[in-house]
Formats: sequence, structure tokens, C-alpha cells
Amino acid sequence: MEFILSGNALKTFARSITCLSRVGNELAIQASPSLLALHSINSSRSAYQSITFKPGFFDVYNIAGNQVECSVLLKAICSVFRTPIASIDHLSIELPDPDASKVQWTLECYSGVRKAYWITCNVEPNIQHLSLDRRRFPSNFVVRPRDLNRLLANFQSSLQEITVIATEPTSFPSDAASEIGGKAVELRSYIDLTKDNDSSLHTQLWIDPAEEFVQYTHTGDPVDVTFGVKELKAFLSFCEGCEVDIHLYFEKAGEPILMAPKFGLDDGSSSNFDATLVLATMLVSQLHESNPSEPPQAGSSMHVQAANSTGSQAQGRSGVNISEHPSEHTKIWSDLSGSATKSGNGAEGRNLQGETNLNANANEQKEIPRFSAMHISKTAPNRENEPLDPNICHPVEGNNVEEPRDRSENNGQGFSQRHPSNWVDADEDDDDENELCVQSTPPYYEEQ
Amino acid sequence: MNSSALDSEAPDLVCQLDNVQGMVDALTAVRWKRSQDAVIELSEHGIVLILEENACLQAKVYLQRELFILYEYSAHGRPRFGVSLSLFVDCLNTFSVPGHSSTIEIRYPGPDMQLLLKSVDSLDAGIYAEIRTRIPDTISWDYNFEPAGSTPITFTVKSAALKEAIDDLEWPGSSIQITLQPVPPTVTFRGDGHGDLQIDFMYYANRDLLMAFHCDSQISHRYKYKFLRAMTSNIPVSVLKDNRGSKLTVGRGGMLKVQHLVSVARQSIPNPHIDSAGYQHPSRIAYIEFFVKPEEDEDNIND
Repeated sequence: MEFILSGNALKTFARSITCLSRVGNELAIQASPSLLALHSINSSRSAYQSITFKPGFFDVYNIAGNQVECSVLLKAICSVFRTPIASIDHLSIELPDPDASKVQWTLECYSGVRKAYWITCNVEPNIQHLSLDRRRFPSNFVVRPRDLNRLLANFQSSLQEITVIATEPTSFPSDAASEIGGKAVELRSYIDLTKDNDSSLHTQLWIDPAEEFVQYTHTGDPVDVTFGVKELKAFLSFCEGCEVDIHLYFEKAGEPILMAPKFGLDDGSSSNFDATLVLATMLVSQLHESNPSEPPQAGSSMHVQAANSTGSQAQGRSGVNISEHPSEHTKIWSDLSGSATKSGNGAEGRNLQGETNLNANANEQKEIPRFSAMHISKTAPNRENEPLDPNICHPVEGNNVEEPRDRSENNGQGFSQRHPSNWVDADEDDDDENELCVQSTPPYYEEQ
Repeated sequence: MNSSALDSEAPDLVCQLDNVQGMVDALTAVRWKRSQDAVIELSEHGIVLILEENACLQAKVYLQRELFILYEYSAHGRPRFGVSLSLFVDCLNTFSVPGHSSTIEIRYPGPDMQLLLKSVDSLDAGIYAEIRTRIPDTISWDYNFEPAGSTPITFTVKSAALKEAIDDLEWPGSSIQITLQPVPPTVTFRGDGHGDLQIDFMYYANRDLLMAFHCDSQISHRYKYKFLRAMTSNIPVSVLKDNRGSKLTVGRGGMLKVQHLVSVARQSIPNPHIDSAGYQHPSRIAYIEFFVKPEEDEDNIND
């Protein structure tokens, strides 16, 4: 196979490599006469990035045969792009035959220098492919990258996971506090308190989708999705560089979300490439109580099949995982969970029970519980029966309390409870994290 | 030359330099390790600073007397002494005030064989420094560079391009093979490690890139990456911005000589040596030379 590209296509390609390298370590290259696809999946299998290019994207596009596949380390490709793009006249990518052991990447620079890189193909390529039909997602929104950047700037830059809570724009009673009227979407920081992080800045941002988003579609009960910020920012940079809006499709907690660039209708030139980012979301909803029939947290990796379909065997698999890893993100300190719960939905009992399981598995904590795309469906209906609207309306006023958020599985120390006194008491409760009472910044307290 | 009756008590050298930053730039170009011991040799022609590593790499900085606004040499013979390069450069840096050309006086030897430095042009404060020197215990290995054949094999390349190429060649993680071939006139740098990278400078591709090229038969030698890296990693920014060229010559046995030119001119105040904006009188330029021995294996490989 042989491709040559230059100019703006080269810039987009370089951006694609940057985005892919922020997701995973290996790059899978799949070339067919009609499409070049680059994929990467992260090591915890919770993020899958795919960028595809049509032959028209390239100056030269030659494929011998039907399909050529290989896999290389992204770090090596990033070395190729250390040369400033502005000084490159064109780039050629060449694989002399399907079984060749090295892919050749050649840069011809305006300065007259020619740089040829031979990058070794991975011997056992683990080329996974995941495709999700965008039409299966009931909800979505479109946002401009710079607007999303601005919203994310309100959050601590070291934030790892973020929750997006989407409600139907007209579902608020008219007597709801004016601050929340019309603000149908909430962005909320998700802090995994099982990790010893000093970043205890919690942020909630209510926004009016009509003002912040180009487009917003959500009907029915509120749903929330919690996913990784790092991959979101990588994709955001990509879209920003390509000057396209971001289209985010979602369903509900536990179901993956999908992001894609939203090309304008008049943007014919940029439609010769496309990108998809699929992120697994946390099983546990930030809005609802956990399902009593299962331990509070569970995780399994996003199930990616070699074939094109999302496998239905995922269900069974995640079921196994749940019992094996009942608590992937957890409060370790059981005494806190008892005092922390505010909503009297019986969460206490559940949490404490969950705690004993959790402590045993404290060593197995991972950053974010991930789970199969298919898993949630059997438990979802239970959640949706919970009354939500009144809870959503509450967190408006000055106390900033989020009753549904009381689920202490998510809130670890309890000081993510919205009752004001919790903020102050957090360090007293917690003997294990003395650094909190020392390190908390003054405004943290003064706020309450 | 100082011809006073107190000749025997006069210091070997008293010199004044009106742009300390230029000297710092020149000396920084030969810093490739945190701690390096340099040998300084004084003569009536100027100051030479010599560094070595492992008997494989040698660097020299020539600061000829024309760079100085005052140069009084009264030694017999050529005094040599050892000094820590990092200490010397850090010390010079304290005399260098950004945006203001500072004049410094260097005097050797002090009462205890130290190197003495002091500021001379500031009215409100004076800076004075002494640096301990050592007796150099090794005789600098005279690399005795000889041309490979009747015509020297040499090329001159834009310093910025050379630095970029050597930075890129870190990736393969291997020794670097440098090949010159006459037809078509090309210089090739190649590394074969956990990935392969080949960088070609083609004479006809762009006249600004290879500014000179002389080679009558193909030659090829391998060099350790860290030595090539030492030669380019600290090229001063002024050299890169001025679009200067670096001259590389391959001598007998594959010994590689690399020469850089660093401007030591004063920026702010007009200098009689500078004829027009940008043109530096040759005497306001410090010469940097590196000598690198090739890896032992091959000699004159034909690719």
C-alpha cells in the first residue's frame, strides 16, 4: 500500500495521530480500496478511537489487493511528526507488501531534507474493531469545541472523570428556582475517592443547552453518563483543530457514549475523513440509587469484538465480572459511608453491606469502573422508576445539596454530600486523610 | 605586550571583553554534560578552551584576541590551567545582565593561581569573582586531524538543519552512520535501531541547505550517537537564528571534524567592527571545533 498526502490533509492527519496517541498505545491500520481506517483502544479498554479517511483525502492512494492490515506503536508515529508540519512538503506512507515487517514513512521537507522512517509492524497485531450505530442513541448534543473548552475550564484541570446529566428541557416545573430554570444540562466533576488524590475540588455546572449547545436532543427522564476527561479533551483538541463541532451521542449510565465531528452541510471538503470516539461510561448512575440486587459498583472492560457487531455475549461476561469485582470504585472507609448518606432511601444499609465487600477488594481499585455496553439493559428499568424530577430541582439553591448524589458509593468520604456541614466535617471524619485538613484551600471553607 | 619593568610580576593575561553574553554562548556550545573539566590555554593569539571525553570526543573554543577590547599578554610560553567549565560559565553568567552589554575583565593568574574576573563598566556596583584553577594532569590529546585524501571531504550545512537531524536521530537508539556520496551529491545520516531512520541532505534539492560540498568518492563511517549529540545539542540560539552554517570534514580514518561559528558581537551599541547590520566582522566570531572518532569497525563502506 502506498499513500501520499500534503497540505491541509497532512495537518489533519497529524492531528489524528495526536488524538489517537492520547487514547491508546498501538495504532491499527486497516486499508481497503475505499477507506483507510486507523484505530486505537486504550489499555483499560474503556476508550476506542477510530479515524477513517477516504481515498480522496490523499494525493496518492494505492492498495494492492483488497485489504491490508498492520499495527504499529503510536509512539513511533509520533516521532515522525516531531518535525514541524509547516516544514513538510509531503508525507508518504508505504508498505511494500502485505507481509512486510516495516512500514516506511517518508517526509520531504521544504528545506530539502528527506527523512525516511522505517517503523516495525507489531508481530501479533491485535486489531479490534468496534462499530456502533449512531442511530441507537436516543439523546445527543452538538457543541462547538471552544464552547466546550470554556465549560471544561471551570473544572480542575486534573479532573479525570466527568458526569453529564441531561434532562428534558421542558421538564422543570415553573416554580423551580429561577437559577435552574432552563438549565437542563449539568456537568459535574466525578471524583473517585478511593484514590488518594488531593484534588478535592468538586464542581457542578448547570447550563442552558439552548445557549451553550448548537443542538440538544433529550426526551424522557434525566439520564447521566460519567466518562473519562482525558479522552474527551483529546477529541476536543482534534475537532478544534479541524474546525468542526463535536457531536456527542449518549443513552444513559452504563451505556457507552459516542463522539463524532459534526461536519457542516456546506463543508464538503472536510467530509473525506471521519472520526469516532466511543467511551465506556460508569455503570453507576449519579442520579439513582444503586440496584439492590447487585453490589453497588461493578466494572468490566468495554467489550470489543473482533467482528463488527457489539457482542451480545457481553452481558454474560459482565455478569461474571460484577460478582468478581464488586467494588471497583469504592469508599474504603466504612465508617464514613454510614455517616455520609443523607437520603433515607435505605442506601445506608446497602452501602455498609457493600463496604464489607469493598474492603476486601480494596486492592483492586481501578480508576473508573468500566463495563460492557450491553450490560445495563437489564437493570435500567429499575432505575428509571425512581422519581427523579424533584431531586433534580433541589440542588439549585444555595445549599448546593444534591440529594440524589447522596449515594455514598460515589461519594466516598461523604464530603461530596451537598449538605454544607459536610464540607467542614469531612476532614474530621477522616483520619486517614490528614492532608485534607491541612491542604484545603481557604475558599473551600469560606464558601460554606 | 606589557613592557613595564615589572614584567615578571605582571599577570600572564589581562583582557577585557565587552559582551559577556557572547562568550557565554560560545562556551555553552561545548557543554554536553553537567560537570566538565576544561583546559584553558593562553597565548598571544587568544584563549583556547579544550574539553575531552573518553578520548573519543574533543571540543575546542577559540577566542582570538581580536574579540577583546583589551588584550595584554605578558606570559612566557603558553600557560595552561584546568577549570570547571560549568563553574566558569555560571560565573560569567552572573556578570551578564540581559539587555545591557556588560564589560568584564579577566585576569590570570591571581595570587593563588586563580582566574580573576571583575566588572569594569558599572558605576553603581562592582562584581568580582575568583575561580580556582587546577594543574591539568592530562595532556590534551592532539587529534592531529589529517585530511582523508588529497582533497578534503567536507560539506557545510545549515546549523539548524544539522541540529534538527541529530535530534531526530535519537529515536532509533543506535549509532549513526554518516555517508557522503559524490553522485548525486548527498549526505546521509542513518540510524538502525528499534526503528530505522535515514535523513538525506541533497545538494541539488535546496541551495540553502548544503552550502558547500566536496567529495570525490563515497565514504561512510559510524559514530556513537551521544558524541554527535554533544556537538549539536547546545548550539546557541543566535547561531540558529542567524542561519549560520556548520562545516563538517571527514578526515583520515573517519575522524569527523565539526566547526561552528558563534557571534560574540555586541548587540546594542554600535561597534566599529560591524560594517552593516547583520554582517559580523570575522574577528567578532568565536570558532568552535569538535573532533569525533568513529566507531572502530568499518572504513569506507560502500552502501
